[in-house]
Amino acid sequence: MSTINFANREINFKIVYYGPGLSGKTTNLKWIYSRIPEGRKGEMVSLATEDERTLFFDFLPLDLGEVKGFKTRFHLYTVPGQVFYNASRKLILRGVDGIVFVADSAPNRLRANAESMRNMRENLAEYGLRVEDIPVVLQVNKRDLPDALPVEMIQAVVDPQGRFPVFEAVATEGKGVFETLKEVSRLVLARVGST
Amino acid sequence: MVEPSLVLYGALYQRAMDVLQETLQETGARYALFVDRKGFVLAHKEALWAPKPPPLDSLATLVAGNAAATQALAKLLGEARFQEVVHQGERMGLYVDEASEFALLVLVFDDNAPLGKVKLHGKRAAETLARLAEEALANPPKLNLDTQYREEARALLDELFGN
Ligand SMILES: Nc1nc2c(ncn2[C@@H]2O[C@H](COP(=O)(O)OP(=O)(O)OP(=O)(O)O)[C@@H](O)[C@H]2O)c(=O)[nH]1
Ligand SMILES: [Mg+2]
Repeated sequence: MSTINFANREINFKIVYYGPGLSGKTTNLKWIYSRIPEGRKGEMVSLATEDERTLFFDFLPLDLGEVKGFKTRFHLYTVPGQVFYNASRKLILRGVDGIVFVADSAPNRLRANAESMRNMRENLAEYGLRVEDIPVVLQVNKRDLPDALPVEMIQAVVDPQGRFPVFEAVATEGKGVFETLKEVSRLVLARVGST
Repeated sequence: MVEPSLVLYGALYQRAMDVLQETLQETGARYALFVDRKGFVLAHKEALWAPKPPPLDSLATLVAGNAAATQALAKLLGEARFQEVVHQGERMGLYVDEASEFALLVLVFDDNAPLGKVKLHGKRAAETLARLAEEALANPPKLNLDTQYREEARALLDELFGN
């Protein structure tokens, strides 16, 4: 859970962007990086292949500012969505405080969305966590696709019980990106001190 | 089991800082970091003479990622763990050792620091830090952050991420 450094008076949260390959996780982080002013963000680190697919993770630290004397920071990560990178994907979930599940609206990715969610459950279980234990926000991305599936259809396969807050997005244009980030941050902060 | 938070404060934090300081002196390394396995910096020290370090957030994240991957490799090969790691370039080097199941010691050194000393004192420091980490985990502090923290934080979210 959150890492608290009393000596430096810091509280750090880890937020992970999860989802199938090419759903737009890295695009979310790039947009955030491009819009957050200097001084409130650190370097963005991307461990990617030649063709820009995430190989291990992307990382972006954000500085929320000082809250009641505590510097409050968010560390954003993306996982590699490609199925065969599961070993590294699992490692990124360690110590996660909140998750953004980025689903793809393309019809031929419906099954990939469902499989990625199942895979996330399995990987969390290895850390003794259930999806219900962690704030999760569902971002339905690529709403600009001409043949985008209805949101309800995507929700029905990844979150049939409708537990997660849902945001529609076009990450390439920044639509819905900050709304999603703000919601997951809010949910993560809401748990501070309540345990 | 949920990953416990490793919280260093007060006397424990001071002791960790002392260990890092001593290790810098004994090894001649530039920077010493105590990092949790999630990639957050718990404590760090820089030698007085050292130039400005690279971004520590990035350093800690990459080291933790690397250590996690190395540990996964060890498991694949049926080993409980691998020994410390040393990366050496022409001028700069990196020493990473585990300090308990939950933290890591990182030393960044240049070619003035003898590798033998880095390894010897690095190992000792890692052992001491491992005990500190275990003590810290055994006595987690009560966090008195109340609703006021959450409300203030929420106002900042609006400011940084927009309404
Ligand atoms: N049309 C459209 N394309 C998008 C959108 N978001 C991302 N893309 C494109 O989808 C492709 C993949 O985006 P990435 O952000 O790299 O995907 P990822 O989820 O990080 O993929 P992995 O790293 O393999 O897991 C890129 O070409 C993006 O430009 C969107 O909202 N609409
Ligand atoms: Mg990616």
